[in-house]
Amino acid sequence: MSSDYSLIQEYTRRHFLERCQLGLAGMFLAGLNRAAVAAETNPMVPKPPHFAPKARAVIYLHMAGSPSQLDLLDYKPELIKYNGKPCPDELLKGKRFAFIKGVPQMMGTPFQFSQHGESGGWVSELLPNFSNVIDDVTIIRSMTTEQFNHAPAQLFLHTGNSRFGAASMGAWATYGLGSENQDLPGFVVLVGGGNNPDGGKSLWGSGFLPSVYQGVQCRTQGDPVLYLSDPDGISRALRRKTVDAIGDLDKLQQEATGDPETAARVSQYELAYRMQISVPEVMDISREPASIHKMYGTEPGSVSFANNCLLARRLVEKGVRFVQLFQWGWDHHGSNRREDIRYDLPDRARGIDQPVAALIQDLKQRGLLDQTLVVWGGEFGRTPMRENRGGVYGSFMGRDHHPHAFSMWMAGGGVKRGLNFGATDEIGYYPVENKVTIRDLQATVLHLLGLDAFRLSYPFQGLNQRLIGPTDEATLIKGILA
Amino acid sequence: MKNHQRIREHRAGGVRRNLAAAWFALVGSFAALAAGPPVDFQRDIRPLLAKRCFACHGPDEGSRQAGLRLDTFDGATGKNGGRTGIVPGSSAQSRVFVRITHPTTPMPPVGERLSPTEVDLIKRWIDQGAAYTRHWAFAKPVRPNLPSVRNQAWPRSGIDYFVLARLEQENLKPSREADANLLARRAALDLIGLPPAPEWVREFVDDKRPDAYERYIDRLLAMPQFGERWARVWLDLARYADTQGYERDFRRSIWPYRDWVIKAINANMPFDQFSIRQLAGDLLPSPTEDDLIATGFHRNTMTNPEAGSDPEEFRDLAVKDRVAVTGQVWMGLTWGCAQCHTHKYDPISHAEFYQLYAFLNQTQDANRVDDTPSLKIGGGSTLVMRDLPPDKLRVTHIEQRGNFLDPGAEVQAATPAAFFPMPGDAPRNRLGLAEWLVNKENPLTARVTVNRFWARLFGRGIVETEEDFGTQGSSPSHPELLDWLATEFMNSDWNVKAMLKTIVTSATYRQSSDASAADEERDPYNRLLARGARYRLDAEMIHDQMLSVAGLLSSKMYGPPVMPWQPDGIWQVVYNSDQWILSSGEDRYRRSLYTFLRRTSPYPWMTTYDAPTGEVCTMRRIRTNTPLQALASLNDPVSMAAAQRIALRTLDEAGASDQARIAYMFQMAVGRQPSPSEAKRLLALHRDAQADLDAESSQKLLNYDKVLYSSDREIALVADGRGKASSWQYTTQDPGDAWKTSAFDANAWKSGAGPFAFRSPAAQGSAESPAGTPWDSEQLWMRYEFDVPAGPLEDPHLLIRCTGGFEVFLNGVRAAASSIERTSYYKYAIDKPAIAALKPGRNLIAVRAYRIGEKDRGQSIDVGLVAVRSLGPPDPRRDQPARAAWVVVANTILNLDEMLTRR
Repeated sequence: MSSDYSLIQEYTRRHFLERCQLGLAGMFLAGLNRAAVAAETNPMVPKPPHFAPKARAVIYLHMAGSPSQLDLLDYKPELIKYNGKPCPDELLKGKRFAFIKGVPQMMGTPFQFSQHGESGGWVSELLPNFSNVIDDVTIIRSMTTEQFNHAPAQLFLHTGNSRFGAASMGAWATYGLGSENQDLPGFVVLVGGGNNPDGGKSLWGSGFLPSVYQGVQCRTQGDPVLYLSDPDGISRALRRKTVDAIGDLDKLQQEATGDPETAARVSQYELAYRMQISVPEVMDISREPASIHKMYGTEPGSVSFANNCLLARRLVEKGVRFVQLFQWGWDHHGSNRREDIRYDLPDRARGIDQPVAALIQDLKQRGLLDQTLVVWGGEFGRTPMRENRGGVYGSFMGRDHHPHAFSMWMAGGGVKRGLNFGATDEIGYYPVENKVTIRDLQATVLHLLGLDAFRLSYPFQGLNQRLIGPTDEATLIKGILA
Repeated sequence: MKNHQRIREHRAGGVRRNLAAAWFALVGSFAALAAGPPVDFQRDIRPLLAKRCFACHGPDEGSRQAGLRLDTFDGATGKNGGRTGIVPGSSAQSRVFVRITHPTTPMPPVGERLSPTEVDLIKRWIDQGAAYTRHWAFAKPVRPNLPSVRNQAWPRSGIDYFVLARLEQENLKPSREADANLLARRAALDLIGLPPAPEWVREFVDDKRPDAYERYIDRLLAMPQFGERWARVWLDLARYADTQGYERDFRRSIWPYRDWVIKAINANMPFDQFSIRQLAGDLLPSPTEDDLIATGFHRNTMTNPEAGSDPEEFRDLAVKDRVAVTGQVWMGLTWGCAQCHTHKYDPISHAEFYQLYAFLNQTQDANRVDDTPSLKIGGGSTLVMRDLPPDKLRVTHIEQRGNFLDPGAEVQAATPAAFFPMPGDAPRNRLGLAEWLVNKENPLTARVTVNRFWARLFGRGIVETEEDFGTQGSSPSHPELLDWLATEFMNSDWNVKAMLKTIVTSATYRQSSDASAADEERDPYNRLLARGARYRLDAEMIHDQMLSVAGLLSSKMYGPPVMPWQPDGIWQVVYNSDQWILSSGEDRYRRSLYTFLRRTSPYPWMTTYDAPTGEVCTMRRIRTNTPLQALASLNDPVSMAAAQRIALRTLDEAGASDQARIAYMFQMAVGRQPSPSEAKRLLALHRDAQADLDAESSQKLLNYDKVLYSSDREIALVADGRGKASSWQYTTQDPGDAWKTSAFDANAWKSGAGPFAFRSPAAQGSAESPAGTPWDSEQLWMRYEFDVPAGPLEDPHLLIRCTGGFEVFLNGVRAAASSIERTSYYKYAIDKPAIAALKPGRNLIAVRAYRIGEKDRGQSIDVGLVAVRSLGPPDPRRDQPARAAWVVVANTILNLDEMLTRR
């Protein structure tokens, strides 16, 4: 048995050789169509899906730290009634919490909820713009996970394994499908909120997959991609000349050594050169019209979630397969003002509300929403109980980590519009209807891209590794499929 | 040839559609045609059954379907009660055959149908008696006789007989020997990870003695850089890193273990001893300090101190990781699979996994922030293994589905039953396990180890799946050669340098790597070894070579990890504000293996070129070829600094003609003379570059060294306690308000150098904190007068390590303050008014430090003030396009495929 990657390499090498025999070398010397050559040797060329896809691209908006579903999307009037009362024993028995000690109090939401759109979904007053696009969205209120700490839960969500070393969803997507634009990375990551997410770069890593599939973090300040700028003193024109010289000299070598890898390397240098132009271009939102800036609330040159949402749209428009946004800062434990549900959550919500609504509307007006799956959510939920760090209540209010139930939403390619899916019990502790696991979510995202999550695998350490893990417990979330 | 036709057919048809299936079919047909009528179970049938059947009909009872087991003869023939799948001698009566040929619902139910060739193989195997022989790797290697070969002149060592016999079987000839220049570079990169110095190459090429090459190899094997190169290979397996991993990813000190590995390899410690010390050095009779440091191998597991984590959960994960890594590294087996259920393919049961777990379950370390136990050495500490006292030993249970909260039956430490038993008198602890692994009865350890050496020297193992010698792994390309090497290795008492020398002095190794299109077509992966190996260099080699050919690489060995230049903004980790602080002096250009490795934010250049992050054991790196690598090599300022150094050296050392300069520069970097067409092309580039550059861009190109590498620009205005520490005046009595101004008279104060630190009575005078000044009061006031040189200064900042709080004043103006504990040196920006208060000549820094929390926690403070001298006026030699154009040429040469390739 051999690894699939060797096969890809082998395929590429053979393919190259064939081309060589057909006169590729001659073509090279004549300086013809370098781009075509690059595409031939690039493992990111589009690959056929397992079946007809509903979505061509994914924009995954991850709210790192995990926003409180009970204050945003999962309305629990009963919980408000219990507000300030001690939590019933049966909810505490055998449970692990990050910080809650002893018997905490129940905590109703301090915010107003109302129903919106034709779908009549309940949404908190903290998301007024989102409420307006609710008829384009499926809200899932019955998510559940197995992990209750940030890093393992984020890893589990994005890589299918709570430990480091597995491949991320975006890496699986590009491994399975390649990408449609060879001048841009196929899997782009945008990080905001002032910090990397807790799980770090492994959340967009390629794990055991070849590293060509890992997410490329595009930064909104400095070089958008590491080492993208020409070095001080080297102009574009001069860089072109050096890349040409490298290509010519490598070609001379290849004639002597016959190594097809050499030609592959030349094509990667060409691709790098093109990325130096195409990446800054796509990352430059200043060319967008004023109406778009108004819609998203973007400001060219600043660092914001709004800017990242607009960038996500631009990237998807250009054929990028998977765009992953991480927005940090939702870990509202209530241990200080910055973590207080009443003071900070409204700010955080304001930071994303207009941009996500704009993203959905903008994709829709461009006819891209049908082909683009947008996913929003955290790595777990937050407790219906008020956190009492160290067993005492201070002056701030917050909620602890809650793996049993949380809310997410999805919109676009292949997902029903205006659907309220799943429900939790009267205090939002457990899902009671249409429970959706992380495995289900992963299988569904891949499914919408035209990939069978049960078949998409890669041999590593004796197992055919899959995003959905070794067992077949995942099921498609059929109820949300359009 | 028929094989060729088949390859073509596959390429035309299925390769793109289903690479894996096509490849498998290809191997199958290849083998069948080569084998002739008798079917070999190990080679032809076992891999087929393992891939297509064992998932449901293998050793794992939990997932077994229809009560049918096909991995053993008894199982397949229904001898132990299950369903009868195979009737030996009669395919027609065998249910297995009936099912795989079923017209509408053939087995296997998922994936592609078995190919006609595969079906035919199974038919013939059953008809021939359905013999089950043992998986090759589970039988002890037996030293094979050297095969006979026609070309008697070619072989230089045993290796070559096996390789040549196979080539002659295929009607192929080996390639000529590589040119001496190239061979010198190849061997140096392979053995010491660096290109050879030009004078070694000259000496080697000029050495006309018959054993000149052997002498050259001996020279390389004796160099200290040999240990650095092969330590890096081992550290991939040890999942070595300088942080704890997971969310917070705090620093940890385990670099003494890294140094131990380098030293042990340089001392040519026999591999069995090398193994025993790392797995159980602490259990040896009267272990030395080195024996304890060696046990850091399994302390490289990650630690998760995140709030709310169950410490037992992460301790359990660490122990499982140790079991899995032990299986991987020494036996090439994927034991980790058995933590949840019995292995689907290989003979290790769920219970046996926990019997192995029991060996490793008795250590003191738990999932703790402080990473105890550690060993104090010199001025620092390192993580080590220590067993629990006999009365505190843990009881090990099978974990149901691998869940530590769901314990099953109790188990005792034992090795898997499919292998030779532990000697009766061996201790049932880590030491016993370590000795069992390197026992010469062990069928795998020597094979796996020599295969790893082979893979690092040929780019691909004799068993390609270095991490899996089990039934799912790839079959060896040269099985007898593997066994010859394994027995040779054991017979030499595990002599690593001797083994490497045997390999690199073989005729097989010395072959030229050039290939014709026909060669590539016939054997694109060079599995038959009809030519030398050719593949992209490892990340570290590319980086170190670049610094080395430029003359920048420091030869300093050992010590704490260093922080060379990296782009801003790489380290941003939640709940951990630790900083990447550029090292000074030669620490900016040490070998890559000394670069600080933070698991969640590794040095980006390294990961771009596929270096591992230390999160998991990496048995072999996958080499990719991406545009991000091109961007790093083209544009990284470090690579530009190397190009500039090469250019300046060329201008100084080569003749005045452009031709001479091209030749000199090319030789310096690539290690050979350019061909006339290469020289011509580079000259044209030089002309183009010269035309494109002006004084300003030239200035930039010729100043990379000053920007990145010139630590003579860096001045310690106030030196912290790590080097030649500044001597402060200090008091522990509140001096009133005026103490921070220069007018204040502090003559009555005491004097002492940093770090100022509380020392427990036990630690007083110990090696723990040899330098510095004791501090055990609530508060501490410190003053120091320093000189600021005339001329502009850039980026003045404080470097402070403080457990407790502090405030700093410059000439009476507040400069910085913090009450956040930092256990490593941290860069603090100076407030603008305080920067404005700095003046040429005499200045005063005043610091108040105070305790936070309990005294016993070990309060400490150490303060440094650093600035960088400005570049100064432009150097007239540095603004000439004719000179700067050479930097562009050097940057181009450093990016040639040839530079990035081991050939």
